[in-house]
Amino acid sequence: MLLTPRKSGASAAAPTSPFIHSLRRGLANALPTLDRRTFLRRSGIGVGVGLAASQLTLMRKATAADGAQPAIGAGKVEVRRTVCSHCSVGCASDAVVENGVWVRQEPVFDSPINLGSHCAKGAALREHGHGEFRLRYPMKLVNGKYERISWDTALQEVTDRIKALRDASGPDSVYWIGSSKHNNEQAYLLRKFVSFFGSNNCDHQARICHSTTVAGVANTWGYGAMTNSYNDMRNAKVALYIGSNAAEAHPVSMLHLLHAKERGCKVIVVDPRFTRTAAKSDEYVRIRSGSDIAFLFGILHHIFKNGWEDKKYLNDRVFGMAKVRDEVMAKWTPDKVEEACGVPEAQVLKVATWLNENRPGTIVWCMGQTQHTIGNAIVRASCILQLALGNVGKSGGGTNIFRGHDNVQGATDVGPNPDSLPSYYGLVEGSWRHFANVWGVEYDWIKSKFASPAMMTKPGITLSRWIDGVLEKNELIDQDSNLRGVVYWGHSPNSQTRGLEMKKAMDKLELLVVVDPYPSATAAMAAMPGAEVNPNRAVYLLPACTQFETSGSVTASNRSIQWREKVIEPLWESRPDHMIMYQFAQKLGFGSELVKNYKMQKVKGMDEPVPEDILREINRSCWAAGYTGQSPERLQAHMRNMGAFDVRTLKAKGPLKDKINGYDIGGDYFGLPWPCYGTPELKHPGSPNLYDTSKHVMDGGGNFRANFGVERDGQNLLAEDGSHSVGADITTGYPELDHLLLKKLGWWDELNDTEKKAAEGKNWKTDPSGGMIRVFMKNHGCHPFGNAKARAIVWNFPDPIPQHREPLYGNRPDLAAKYPTHNDVKTFWRLPTLYKSVQEKNIADKVAEKFPYILTSGRLVEYEGGGEETRSNPWLAELQQEMFIEINPKVAAGKGIRNGDRAWVHTPTGAKLNVQALVTERVGPDTVFMPFHFSGHWQGVDMLPYYPKGAAPIVRGEAINTATTYGYDIVTMMQETKSTICNVEKA
Amino acid sequence: QTAAQPPAAAPAGVQSQNIFEVKPEASAEPGYLDQTNGERNKVQPGNNAPMWRQVSGGVTGYSSLPLSEAPEAGNLIQRFVQYPGSRFTNAGEAWRQVRNDWLIPYGAALLFVTLLALAIFYFAKGPITLHSAETGRKIQRFTPFERATHWSNAIAFVTLALSGIVMAFGKFFMLPVMGSALFGWLTYGLKNVHNFMGPLFVVTTLFMIATFIRSNWPGKDDWQWLKKGGGLFGGTEPPSHRFNAGEKMVFWGGVLFLGSIVIGSGLYLDKLLPGVVYLRENMQIAHMIHAASTLLMMAMIMGHIYIGTLGMKGAYRAMRKGEVDETWAREHHKLWYDDIVAGKIPAQRSGSQPAARVSGAKGLST
Amino acid sequence: MARMKFVCDSERCIECNGCVTACKNENEVPWGVNRRRVVTLNDGVPGEKSISVACMHCSDAPCMAVCPVQCFYRTEEGVVLHDKDVCIGCGYCSYACPFGAPQFPSQGTFGMRGKMDKCTFCAGGPEANGSQAEFEKYGRNRLAEGKLPACAEMCSTKALIAGDGDVVAEIFRTRVVQRGKGAEVWGWGTAYGSKQAGNPPANGVTK
Ligand SMILES: Nc1nc2c(c(=O)[nH]1)N[C@H]1C(S)=C(S)[C@@H](COP(=O)(O)OP(=O)(O)OC[C@H]3O[C@@H](n4cnc5c(=O)[nH]c(N)nc54)[C@H](O)[C@@H]3O)O[C@H]1N2
Ligand SMILES: Nc1nc2c(c(=O)[nH]1)N[C@H]1C(S)=C(S)[C@@H](COP(=O)(O)OP(=O)(O)OC[C@H]3O[C@@H](n4cnc5c(=O)[nH]c(N)nc54)[C@H](O)[C@@H]3O)O[C@H]1N2
Ligand code: HEM
Ligand code: HEM
Ligand code: SF4
Ligand code: SF4
Ligand code: SF4
Ligand code: SF4
Ligand code: SF4
Ligand SMILES: [Mo]
Repeated sequence: MLLTPRKSGASAAAPTSPFIHSLRRGLANALPTLDRRTFLRRSGIGVGVGLAASQLTLMRKATAADGAQPAIGAGKVEVRRTVCSHCSVGCASDAVVENGVWVRQEPVFDSPINLGSHCAKGAALREHGHGEFRLRYPMKLVNGKYERISWDTALQEVTDRIKALRDASGPDSVYWIGSSKHNNEQAYLLRKFVSFFGSNNCDHQARICHSTTVAGVANTWGYGAMTNSYNDMRNAKVALYIGSNAAEAHPVSMLHLLHAKERGCKVIVVDPRFTRTAAKSDEYVRIRSGSDIAFLFGILHHIFKNGWEDKKYLNDRVFGMAKVRDEVMAKWTPDKVEEACGVPEAQVLKVATWLNENRPGTIVWCMGQTQHTIGNAIVRASCILQLALGNVGKSGGGTNIFRGHDNVQGATDVGPNPDSLPSYYGLVEGSWRHFANVWGVEYDWIKSKFASPAMMTKPGITLSRWIDGVLEKNELIDQDSNLRGVVYWGHSPNSQTRGLEMKKAMDKLELLVVVDPYPSATAAMAAMPGAEVNPNRAVYLLPACTQFETSGSVTASNRSIQWREKVIEPLWESRPDHMIMYQFAQKLGFGSELVKNYKMQKVKGMDEPVPEDILREINRSCWAAGYTGQSPERLQAHMRNMGAFDVRTLKAKGPLKDKINGYDIGGDYFGLPWPCYGTPELKHPGSPNLYDTSKHVMDGGGNFRANFGVERDGQNLLAEDGSHSVGADITTGYPELDHLLLKKLGWWDELNDTEKKAAEGKNWKTDPSGGMIRVFMKNHGCHPFGNAKARAIVWNFPDPIPQHREPLYGNRPDLAAKYPTHNDVKTFWRLPTLYKSVQEKNIADKVAEKFPYILTSGRLVEYEGGGEETRSNPWLAELQQEMFIEINPKVAAGKGIRNGDRAWVHTPTGAKLNVQALVTERVGPDTVFMPFHFSGHWQGVDMLPYYPKGAAPIVRGEAINTATTYGYDIVTMMQETKSTICNVEKA
Repeated sequence: QTAAQPPAAAPAGVQSQNIFEVKPEASAEPGYLDQTNGERNKVQPGNNAPMWRQVSGGVTGYSSLPLSEAPEAGNLIQRFVQYPGSRFTNAGEAWRQVRNDWLIPYGAALLFVTLLALAIFYFAKGPITLHSAETGRKIQRFTPFERATHWSNAIAFVTLALSGIVMAFGKFFMLPVMGSALFGWLTYGLKNVHNFMGPLFVVTTLFMIATFIRSNWPGKDDWQWLKKGGGLFGGTEPPSHRFNAGEKMVFWGGVLFLGSIVIGSGLYLDKLLPGVVYLRENMQIAHMIHAASTLLMMAMIMGHIYIGTLGMKGAYRAMRKGEVDETWAREHHKLWYDDIVAGKIPAQRSGSQPAARVSGAKGLST
Repeated sequence: MARMKFVCDSERCIECNGCVTACKNENEVPWGVNRRRVVTLNDGVPGEKSISVACMHCSDAPCMAVCPVQCFYRTEEGVVLHDKDVCIGCGYCSYACPFGAPQFPSQGTFGMRGKMDKCTFCAGGPEANGSQAEFEKYGRNRLAEGKLPACAEMCSTKALIAGDGDVVAEIFRTRVVQRGKGAEVWGWGTAYGSKQAGNPPANGVTK
């Protein structure tokens, strides 16, 4: 588009005489026009949304932190490339920094992921450079009020408290809640930190987000991640969105979908609500929340009935489909389907027909599937559908599982998980030894830190249940002490269910530490008077940096890893998370061990581990997930040369040498989507689409993983003859690579001597040289994790074939009788967990009569997660000022509720929420919906007095999770946030 | 607007599957025109004509902005309306047509013609003078309170009128001379003066009404006065009570009737009426009413001011000093004079005024 | 000379408000002033469409015609701008504008609105291009920097297109051809004139 600069056009009527001209100038100077400053001040009055006087500052708000305001264009201008820190799409953005102040935000048209696009949150990133409502310095709760303390005092007191807890009750008495907001380096360092502290009691958002996906999908075919990419959806001929509202939750992904749609891709949206995504669909299917298995198997029924399944594919690459088929044909006849999910046969058949006629087709899911007591089974049903259609491992197909937070994928891969070490290494001794080796510490030294060897290999408590770790009777829990201290390190409290009980748990703690740029939700909840507060409790708030005040790598949903440059120096007194971890570790006595492999750099005069070095350690340890090829140099070269990557394939046209570090990106896929196997020198290009046999393994191709043995019930679990990735020397199924296999194949001698030494007795995941991988992949085109079949039957799960089961709190006791939930589990992630006893009691108590509506929850495009951060951003906050509940007009009319009225929402926990009614057809008459991003009101009362001064978000509202109920996935402890029940009344 | 027809043959390679399953036109179907956008999208994906009809019909959609802050955010294009004098078009445009094509030019013409008429009248006939010599004896015509009321009202009015005129017409005759910055600042000032003076005018007008309503009560003789045109165009001035029919017309028609309209619409424009949501369309209507009524009122009051100053000798003094000469009273307000002489009305109604003397007045106090 | 225009493709717009916050960000627009906003019709039912709207920089701009102090002017690219030093905050432009584009920093009584603010097509105001004064009053002047409006550049789905009217029309036309239907362009008739502009939406005339 050709642009011509505008000539500075004066007003239509130019002044005529010189006198008038000078008078005009004089006036203009003497009486300054209403500028933005005045605007703000004016608008602050009468807005009534609590824009405090403090935020009347102007465009370069950040200068407030460090003084003078240089004139525009006068300073040194630099452009730093960063990545949106909100959702997992991973949109790149250029930050224009002038004299250290983030003055502008420019789109990165070169980014193949977002082509310059942003949703509301991404387009408002620069507000992070103002950070006006952030916590500015450490604070401590004293007599119900937060008081400022120094960092030194804070570090000393917090670590003293932690030490005291460890000494008195063992390391498992402290619970570490990490963050999907951390970059890979920080997430990884936190897992290392907790290990050195001697515990597995750590977790992060993935637990309450996609844990069921990760477990269910990984157990189906290998990795529990999005198989393809947003970009690859451009190749899809049909897209089935089931349980995803991408238009609000992953808005920029719609760029690719709508492109596909314009080229004929059919879009189907299956959701209890008519969402913004549904508005873009060719077919919208309304289902009852929690009934996805019925619907998915309903489709499968038609597919099998008509013989539409991909028979060769099933034979070659899938285990157990015949059994599934028998069950589906018998159990999920159209009448049963309609009864369970409410969708008539004709519509199910239509969807099945579209899926059959348009291949490759992709399926997209997100929280609508995962957040259920049967989440693990629902996601497997989705996988089974795609397997039956032969869509997995194909461009345009796959299971496009949209992850959540910006780095939830990375934090899942290498971060603080209670049941694994980074890169999905389980808690077995071998894994510990592998990491001890990379970390450069003795295995026994780590072991000595744990309460016992048994606790070292026992998965910790999950994030979703920490409150039970505090409140549950000690004899019922599977660790010595109850939890007595909790560290919220980049997580909100209002995102976990059972808010009323959480308040009790918080009050019972000895120690609560919040490390967060916006710790306010937790802070207010803790400071709010409670029924029974532990008199010895100490609460500390520590200001962390955002991701724009540090550098590091972040993994988008499509597994591409991007490098963020540091945009600005830490604002106020905030410190980067990895610096705080190091400072904690120093005080706790393992500082030097923690940073043994890292160089230090000075930030604000203090030592901080260099993020690149942490990444290099990840590269040296995380073989299993393929986090080894992504050296900082390669990633940085990708970021600087984004324009070279194709939007459809993500592949770089090369050769193209980076001007700064000389790395040639030619042939790489953008961000080296993991698995990027072997050492960086191997130059594996990353895997754009997983399990894609149409490509050579050295071009990102692959096949299903051999992770479940070679044979089951006499059936071959490895791929059949002729099914292998292009160019593989082994043309049939094979197990995963270890030294024995390599020797057996006679390829051992292709290793050099040092490699041999390192590889002896190891497998591909523990060989520190990467030599075996090199030989296997580069020389022979074989996949290090083997070549096997995907599993339609996951025999190690409670429901090997996915079973529909009703939620614990449902409004259909008739269906609960037919599809009852699981039996209670006595110890599960260290805690007793209830299923049947709750469901049966609810049915017996006729709870459904008192709470007749299904309550589901989800996202608004403007806010992220618990929302304190985004609700503190005035550009976003203005767009959603009220917590609301969506109610169908029929229901509303019956209750005399009009649009905009206040309403009380009651749930079986006894909680009541005061919210605004949004009367809308978006939901059907049996369902109500609430967004989950609000906090700051507690059952009708504004919590403002309990916030640390100056750090309350602009918009506050009831948190839905104050009212949500009990219920956890049978495999992963995912909380049930998508279907519970409630009643609504006019307030 | 009408959808452009898609080219007959789409370029190869980019056809959309959706499209070619669909008949190009489904307009033969019964109920085609009543389809909702959803129904239309089913048979003709991408054809959003029903939605565009809603848009130009002014249908208000959903906006996440709160109603309290942005009540009209959900409206894309203002509704189609036809204001008197405009075409049937969207409300903003219609209002513009009424204001720019009617109110401004004809309003200016009205004021100009009135001014011209008064000038012609003045030069042709000159001021109305007394036929007899002044007696030097004064009668109190307006108490200090009445005068204070009148003048505060008059000042407010003149300020409003002048500022209003600058707002409405300034850009034609002042802006070219002053330049936009100066004119802008001046108008900015005057606009704010206008906005604050308005409510003041409301108060003074209420006082005016209360003060003068009794003396303006219509009587039989007003009819006579009117029939003779007040004697303005020849003949003798018919007798009248304290106020003649012309003045009563100013009172009833100008102050009370037009005044109320001006005030009502002005208060609305000022956003001072409580419990009202101020929507653009209402503002447009209020504005048109305001502009039309103020123009009429200005024309009327121009006449009043003319008579009160240049047009009639002694009138201005009456309002300035509160007293008139006996002769003046006799010649212009015979019946009133008679009543005073008869003692029906006290010649002096306010205490502080020095004694007025009227010959032979029985009821006079000294 | 290029004639700047906006198009919002309702087939693509997903009401993500990216355009809205991009504008706030780039131009430091204060709370309460919405140079751009997104409207959804048929919300929650099939046929739902969203449209992002700001000043359309009309050819025969009603706002310009009613402004008592004539503070509007049109640039060579057809961008309708105004001079805040001159504006008296009377609100007439907002009554006249079909799209509700003019905004005021205050909703106050006594007609105290403050100076009008509206979308500048990211082309600043009468002050020197790129000056601090221009920025403070009108926001960035991206056109002078050879960039297009921030809202359109950042639109999450490329629904919102801005730029030379011919180019914009061409992009949109290509999409229409691909889809085979739906050539209605949001607001163009009203903003830029067509044989139908300002005419009633006769029932049945549009298909
Ligand atoms: N704007 C914004 N974007 C975000 C986030 C955010 O907070 N704000 N968070 C990020 C994170 S952490 C995540 S995990 C993702 C989540 O992204 P999504 O999962 O897409 O978002 P949700 O709104 O939670 O849920 C999606 C849909 O599931 C539907 N649903 C509810 N119950 C069921 C059911 O039983 N079956 C089916 N099929 N559908 C159901 C809901 O109606 C909802 O429309 O978004 C990411 N992106
Ligand atoms: N009812 C209901 N509940 C839900 C859901 C639902 O759909 N319905 N969705 C669930 C899902 S999918 C998720 S992922 C969770 C999300 O819920 P949370 O992840 O708890 O929500 P956020 O508020 O995004 O939390 C992130 C925190 O990290 C902080 N932070 C940001 N950057 C940094 C950083 O660099 N360092 C540190 N230390 N902190 C940082 C932010 O300020 C914020 O406080 O909510 C879950 N809860
Ligand atoms: C009685 C004498 C009055 C006269 C002669 C008068 C005249 C005018 C005129 C000519 C305009 C400009 C119209 C245009 O430009 O199109 C105007 C506007 C306006 N008037 Fe009056 N008016 C009077 C009284 C009032 C009163 C009593 C109020 C309020 C209580 C008021 C409030 C307004 C307002 C709010 C505007 C809109 C312009 C703005 O907001 O600045 N006016 N008036
Ligand atoms: C500068 C402007 C004005 C001048 C010089 C003026 C002059 C006068 C004079 C001289 C009188 C006395 C007439 C008599 O003695 O009978 C009078 C009466 C009166 N004036 Fe004015 N006037 C002015 C403005 C106004 C305005 C703005 C209003 C109302 C909107 C008004 C309303 C009245 C009324 C109500 C009376 C009492 C007689 C009646 O009811 O008509 N005047 N004025
Ligand atoms: S929130 Fe997600 S879609 Fe929006 S700009 Fe950020 S990364 Fe992109
Ligand atoms: S959209 Fe409104 S403000 Fe913009 S030029 Fe047109 S009439 Fe004026
Ligand atoms: S508010 Fe300002 S720009 Fe709008 S019409 Fe009035 S003076 Fe002109
Ligand atoms: S063109 Fe610029 S000023 Fe106008 S809405 Fe877009 S970003 Fe805002
Ligand atoms: S950014 Fe684009 S898609 Fe999002 S609301 Fe604006 S115009 Fe629509
Ligand atoms: Mo999530």
